Amino acid sequence: MKTTVTLHGLGLLSALLLIPPTPALAADPAAGRTEFNRDIRPLLGKHCTACHGGVKNAGKISFIYRDKALAKGKSGRPAIVPGRPEESEVIARILSKDPDEVMPKPDHGPRLNEKEISLLRRWIAEGAEWSEHWSFVPPKEPARPTLRNPAWAREPLDEFILAGLEAEGLPPSPEASPDEWLRRVSFDLIGLPPSPEEYSLYLADRRHDPRGARERVVDRLLASPHFGERWATLWLDLARYSDTYGFEKDPHRDIWPWRDWVIRAFNSDMPFDQFTLRQLAGDLFEHPTADDLLATAFHRNTQNNTEGGTDDEEYRTAAVLDRVNTTWTVWQATTFGCVQCHSHPYDPIPNRDYYRFAAFFNNTEDCDQNDDFPRYLFPDNPQEREAAAAAQQEARRRRLDLNREGLALARSLGDWKPWTPLEAKASGGRLTLGDSGRIDAGGTLPIAVKYTLTLPVVPGLTAIQIQIFPDSENPKRPPERGQIFSKFSLGLLPPGGSNTPVRLKEAIADYMAGPFDPQRVVEGGGGLGSYPVGSDRREGVIVLEKPLEAPEGSKLVVEIEHGIAANSDFQGCPLKHFSLSTSTNARATTFVTSPARMEAWKAWHHAVDASSRGGGVRVPILVERERAATRETRVFIRGNRLTRDEVVSPGIPDVVNPPRKEGPLTRLDMARWLVGNENPLAARVLANRLWAALFGHGIVETLEDFGASGAKPTHPELLDHLALRLRGEFGWSVKRFLRSLALSATYGQTGHASQQLQDRDPANHLLARGPRVRLTAEMVRDQSLALSGLLSPKAFGPPVFPPQPDGVWRTVYSGASWRTAQDENRFRRALYTYSKRTAGYPMFLTFDAPSRDACTARRIPSNTPLQALTTWNDPAFIEMAQGLALRMEAECGPTREKIEFGCRLVTLEPPSRSMVDTLMKLYEGARQDYLAAPDTTSRLAPGPDRAALVLVANTLLNLDITLNR
Amino acid sequence: MSLLQQLQADSALLQTRRYFLRDAASGLGALWFASAGGRAYGAAASVLRKEPGRPLHASAPSLPGKAKRVIYLHMAGSPSQLELFDHKPDLVRQDGKDCPQAFLAGKQFAFIQGVPKMLGPQYPFQQHGQSGQWISDRMPHLATLADDLCFIKSMYTDQFNHGPAQLLVHTGNQNPGAPSAGAWVTYGLGTDNENLPGFIVLTSGGKNPDAGKTVWGSGFLPSVYQGVQCRSEGEPVLFLSNPPGIDRGLRRRSLEALNEINARSAAETGDPETLTRIAQYELAFRMQVEASDAFDIGKEPAGIHALYGTQPGKESFANNCLLARRLAERGVRYIQLFDWGWDSHGTDETTALTHGFKAKCESIDRPIMALISDLKQRGLLEETLVVWSGEFGRTPMRENRAGVEMKFAGRDHNPGAFTLMMAGGGSKGGVSYGETDEFGYQSVIDRVSVHDFHATLLALLGYDHLKFTYPVSGVNQRLTNVTQPGSEVVRGVIA
Repeated sequence: MKTTVTLHGLGLLSALLLIPPTPALAADPAAGRTEFNRDIRPLLGKHCTACHGGVKNAGKISFIYRDKALAKGKSGRPAIVPGRPEESEVIARILSKDPDEVMPKPDHGPRLNEKEISLLRRWIAEGAEWSEHWSFVPPKEPARPTLRNPAWAREPLDEFILAGLEAEGLPPSPEASPDEWLRRVSFDLIGLPPSPEEYSLYLADRRHDPRGARERVVDRLLASPHFGERWATLWLDLARYSDTYGFEKDPHRDIWPWRDWVIRAFNSDMPFDQFTLRQLAGDLFEHPTADDLLATAFHRNTQNNTEGGTDDEEYRTAAVLDRVNTTWTVWQATTFGCVQCHSHPYDPIPNRDYYRFAAFFNNTEDCDQNDDFPRYLFPDNPQEREAAAAAQQEARRRRLDLNREGLALARSLGDWKPWTPLEAKASGGRLTLGDSGRIDAGGTLPIAVKYTLTLPVVPGLTAIQIQIFPDSENPKRPPERGQIFSKFSLGLLPPGGSNTPVRLKEAIADYMAGPFDPQRVVEGGGGLGSYPVGSDRREGVIVLEKPLEAPEGSKLVVEIEHGIAANSDFQGCPLKHFSLSTSTNARATTFVTSPARMEAWKAWHHAVDASSRGGGVRVPILVERERAATRETRVFIRGNRLTRDEVVSPGIPDVVNPPRKEGPLTRLDMARWLVGNENPLAARVLANRLWAALFGHGIVETLEDFGASGAKPTHPELLDHLALRLRGEFGWSVKRFLRSLALSATYGQTGHASQQLQDRDPANHLLARGPRVRLTAEMVRDQSLALSGLLSPKAFGPPVFPPQPDGVWRTVYSGASWRTAQDENRFRRALYTYSKRTAGYPMFLTFDAPSRDACTARRIPSNTPLQALTTWNDPAFIEMAQGLALRMEAECGPTREKIEFGCRLVTLEPPSRSMVDTLMKLYEGARQDYLAAPDTTSRLAPGPDRAALVLVANTLLNLDITLNR
Repeated sequence: MSLLQQLQADSALLQTRRYFLRDAASGLGALWFASAGGRAYGAAASVLRKEPGRPLHASAPSLPGKAKRVIYLHMAGSPSQLELFDHKPDLVRQDGKDCPQAFLAGKQFAFIQGVPKMLGPQYPFQQHGQSGQWISDRMPHLATLADDLCFIKSMYTDQFNHGPAQLLVHTGNQNPGAPSAGAWVTYGLGTDNENLPGFIVLTSGGKNPDAGKTVWGSGFLPSVYQGVQCRSEGEPVLFLSNPPGIDRGLRRRSLEALNEINARSAAETGDPETLTRIAQYELAFRMQVEASDAFDIGKEPAGIHALYGTQPGKESFANNCLLARRLAERGVRYIQLFDWGWDSHGTDETTALTHGFKAKCESIDRPIMALISDLKQRGLLEETLVVWSGEFGRTPMRENRAGVEMKFAGRDHNPGAFTLMMAGGGSKGGVSYGETDEFGYQSVIDRVSVHDFHATLLALLGYDHLKFTYPVSGVNQRLTNVTQPGSEVVRGVIA
């Protein structure tokens, strides 16, 4: 057979190759008790759950949940009767000769083989014991394995790896050379290569104390300010961090202060449980600090669609669902997105639970506004940050209190009487008067439509109530376009006189939500009503400055003005159905003019003023809506937001041990549960993620999926051990955990593989050798910068613009342009590069960095000619090669020594003779060419010697050794 | 089976990383195949296998297909079907009348508010060719090929904004993250010329498409299958040219040195990726010549330039059409053209049906005719599927903004109906498939969804859309979107 093979389907395969037994059936069915997860679950997954699973329950049977598997199906006979295989319908069906009865149906798949049938039968006979999929079972500390060569292990983890190797009869590989190990650990921990000086120090240190020397290197790296920059990158992929909104216009978003927070959190080794609580629910802490609020920007990295006419509610919902899916991928490695449309096909998570979980995220203020509302100011000066955060929170609290107190007063007035207009006119479209004073608007209503209502005078009038009605009262319909007005004015029309304004003091809403302040409708510029969508009745109360005095025979004129548009400023939201009532209770006017009330408004104004003090950026964060404004969460039928079913309250699926609590769970409760001891997944998922970052692949290869459809752990006991150590002994300290990995014997092996080892374990699952992994996109850039001597150590701050070819940014309806930095920002570490979702930095994309459209749990490295073209020819890399050549040239001695020095910068060790010979040949040849063509030379370097060195440097930056760690 | 074997089998089953099969006949290779052919959760997985280090190596499809490659001409912004190909004489009589309420109830528009006026077709239609296809006077050159053209007049989508609708048309999903059709096809068929990218994207009109580069992304497929955006102006492929001061001879010297050192690394480390890297640098070196040559339209004779209306050195749709032919000739699998500027809202002169739209039509009419006839005269049309479409259609109503009628005539976005055109590649010439209602507002007869079209595209290339899958997170994903079942191949457009 040739090496190129493209095969489809099964037939050809079976014909060509003898198919060995299904791997999951490795256990010898003749020996010992059956184990559900080992023997039965894979069998059900292979033959049954496509039809009898979470999506389809053919014959009302599902093999995902035990109770459903034991229940009677449509046939009336139970599929499984524990202890009695002969009474179990499943066995009868599998054995049946009747083509209408047999399972699986002949056109669905092959019959079960003898071994499988015998296993299934024995399992039922033994009592049909069920256990959940491994990742839903809480981890427990495994027994330490017994080893033939225990002395090899340096860390407990080594014992588990060695046990696997001994079982396979594979010896561990020799220890990596000092240069190989130092280079590997430097890239892994700080994302940068070690300098020759650091290497010399390490060599000297390890001469008398190898173990201590390794520890000192690892501790130095963990304490480096560059540590956070390396590890933030991993988190930014998960958080789908970008400096733009995404979608059509893809405008700029100021969210880099959150990126800096992440770097600082890693640098200060913030325990992962704290790191989690702050990002998911820092806004719900009792006294959140500025950093607690900033951390919640994690979930404001969702995309925001500002394309003209896009439905704000559609994209708000998309953002909420993205938060759900991202949370489950990041902390739980569970493909929760499947559950949006139907119960999970393979894991025991019902459809309804998706929406129960979505309810945790469905109540934040953000609603796909073009300005990314709500945003909080984070002053650049760290001294001003806490004061600004406190002031902003105080302003919000005071404003909500002001409205709540006003509402309580309005609701206590008790003498509301309907107020029917004599006449109603609109500046566009038309108004019609209905029964009991209801006013309906129709026709084409311009965004800035103005309604003018003439009404009978109400002597002693103190307050006007406005009620706004939805088109439909059906609670299951999708939310309607909002109805919101921006100015309310009242005029007195005495007989024969002209309209004189009546002073209005306050506007009070039934609840406060959204970007517009209801109070400001009395002067214009605010907004009272629902926006951008609304489903429920809304109510507002306008209070006069003093009880109305009006001459006999007067009329009153109410003007309601609009100007607010939804859906990226294109769809107006005028009132469509509303009515007015009046009160003459003087308590209203007394209340709004009372000294206490005036003081309260003044205090709010002070807080608002203090909120905007200090220069800085406004960052989108999570702000929970007040209780009265809570959004209802309904199940979407088949995942479609337009077809809605029952209301659900916040909740967590049973299979992952939710907390028990009186009253509704909050987002903060959910975050606490995620990192609590009851959750079987988060510690395993993080341990696996960090492991993969160092070893090139996870213990569970599918970092994003620990469910039945994901990969199984190669070393399940090791994973449990690591998870428990991370959460327990290390108290969620990422640094302590990484320290134990980096100092392990497993990690310390050479990455070189013999042909035999390469053949036996090409993907290095068993770790009989150390990891050899291609550098990430960021490391490729950062290393070249470091070797060239150009790397700027500057950390933090707004994103930067290193050289990028013209014409990469050509976004529609956008004036944004790439302004290549001419200062040190040209040479900053990769993670500070401007990240634009619809047009990423080309070099990063070529080296497998994601676009950050959605949460990315794993980058799959590729190896392509476009990568070669990039590191060869990208002007940014040429600039770096020139820098490296300068460093080489500055080295004293003949050219050969200069080249040796360049090699040492890359590989640390003095290069082999043959490597230097090769590069000398290149140098000499190139030098001859440059001597012969001074014009060519001058475009690269001042003279032929330097130009030849630049070519050597360019070659060094492209070596396979250079591009791997 | 040992733990090790089991792990490898599981991995292959999941196909989550690229594995290079060193020797498929050996025990391990055979095992991988066996597992890959086994059943993943839920359904039979058909996993493609690629030769070590050559993920783009040409492979045959599972079924016989006439089309060997695709040239997709996307008019970003979406041209009006009512001014080009969907002849609606009844709409003429409605011009200026209020839009009936029935057209508005329950509909969402990007911009129209309240009750807009109906807008009659702005240009006259005529029948052309033996087949008598109706084509407006905006496409006089294209009309001469009427008998080669296959129109689907009953296309519909469920997205009425550009970004999501473009994503749907190219990836089968309105949200970012799914692979584009071009990535799928390149994954399936590889390319006939590994010295060029297998999936090439060219843009004109000065902008990238609304949905950005995600519309040619590889989604969950390996990134090697993503579209490579090339430019008809300047360097065709980013970083293709050697930098100033490094000529081809010097680059060859550098390549030789790299190869020598990398070969020694490969021997030392035993890492097969190192051998792949050596091959990729060789390929890059060849691509520098081959791609430069492919993109040099200056080499075409004057007659060809006259046919296409091309002017070398400028970014234009005409130049991109000529490039598309040159790339098709050289074996590129999927060539995707985006031409921006078709969003005829009528907010100003450039988006007016009577002005800007007219100019856009002139800029594509001759080049598309030239592309199709040029492919034909070279015997390439039979195996090259040319597709033309927008991302949705436009309303038979005249657009208003903020409830006010505008000075220029324009139409809003209409997901209910649009026209897609095909030529060659096994499509049936001289056919008009499906119908819209009397005003061209909704697709009503033989409705074709975007997913149906994808199923048809794959069928023309030799794939059953239900079986051409890639397992991701436990689901065998496919171009026709597993969450949208029921897509069908449109047999009526296949010759």
